[in-house]
Amino acid sequence: MTPKLALLVVATVAGLPPSVAAQTAARTTAKSATKSSIPRTRDGKPDLTGVWQAGSTQSGNWEEANSGLGVGGTGRNPSAAAFPSFNDRPADSEAAPYQPWAAQKVLEAFNRRAIDDPSALCLPLGVPRQALLGLFPTQIVQTPNQIVILYEYMSVFRVIPLDAAHPDDLLPSYMGNSVGHWEGDTLVVDVIGFNDKTWLAGAGTFHSDALHVVERYTRIDRDRINYDVTIDDPKVLTKRWTIHSSMMLREGTRLEEYVCAENNLDPGQYEKLLKEGVKFTRE
Amino acid sequence: MARKISRAWLLAPIMCCLVIPLPAHHSFGAEYDTSKPVLLTGIVTRIEWTNPHSFLYVDVQDDKGSVVNWKLEGYPPGVLYRTGWRKDLTLKVGDTVTVTGWRARDSTNLAHSREVTLANGKKLFLGPPGGTGDGGSTPAVEVK
Repeated sequence: MTPKLALLVVATVAGLPPSVAAQTAARTTAKSATKSSIPRTRDGKPDLTGVWQAGSTQSGNWEEANSGLGVGGTGRNPSAAAFPSFNDRPADSEAAPYQPWAAQKVLEAFNRRAIDDPSALCLPLGVPRQALLGLFPTQIVQTPNQIVILYEYMSVFRVIPLDAAHPDDLLPSYMGNSVGHWEGDTLVVDVIGFNDKTWLAGAGTFHSDALHVVERYTRIDRDRINYDVTIDDPKVLTKRWTIHSSMMLREGTRLEEYVCAENNLDPGQYEKLLKEGVKFTRE
Repeated sequence: MARKISRAWLLAPIMCCLVIPLPAHHSFGAEYDTSKPVLLTGIVTRIEWTNPHSFLYVDVQDDKGSVVNWKLEGYPPGVLYRTGWRKDLTLKVGDTVTVTGWRARDSTNLAHSREVTLANGKKLFLGPPGGTGDGGSTPAVEVK
């Protein structure tokens, strides 16, 4: 039995989601991945160009990889394992280290069943939440001087200049201001300049305008990018919060238009629930 | 419009115990009640392929013989396309369908849809699993 398979078996017996085991297994073998298996650009950097699905560890095209239960249950096998929600912190990550008053606020949002989710107002998810969402594809376009990331969900984009400094006149924004550089085969993206209107990774995971996110994108083989994030926000967290996730190559997938405001009935529905006193909160 | 079959009834409690996370867009769990599973069979009267969610409208005859139009919420077009749905081909107005889902908390004829069985017997998911979409399965912070 291979170590990876053995880990999966142990995880299954222990009742852990297979995706957790698969992630852990893949991480332990990442260092041994041969450099030749990573597509590279002419300048020798790992080539991240392509369409990717976040939060997955399954290889294959979109349909193949989601033929089980699929992300959000999009597949056709109701008994297959479920993917974590973008209302949950990623499975391979520690609990969010909020200051006590802030943790209470996060819990209140959870108990209100995420009715206050900024995405219900069709707002961008921010970072890293936007990069953790697996129901919709993400496209990366890489050039020697900049990386562009296109997200189908909410039709937002990020332009990431390489080896550049953050501007000193930043306006607060949902997706922040990103600059990148290469550390060996890892693309490191430093993000600041956020407003305080998004969630980080899970229901109610608010932050302040002091948020500082560092993302590390490491293409460990043809199919997979390890996505590792550190989150600092001294106004609401007690220490750095680290999140690990992944992105899987989805050849043949194209990004579709996503105009959220087209028919967004959620705010009205929520208002109706509250007005009518319908009980929806957790105890 | 011709109509056939038709029963709207609550399924056995087994379905209420499914707790599976939902990845997008908003909290289905706030709007819909997983203790109210529904199984509906009827005639499609309208399909809205819209963002952030699609809606399917189905005429269903209740036990008293009255026809009620149900509104069923599901995934947005991009998600449906990637999981095998084709607009104007997979499902059309006038088709007979059977849909499983969970009713709205306000007990209107609105439901969060899950599995659709087409007239030819083919089954597709129109919406996410029930039971979550309610802010996640666990809080992001540790609860002591």
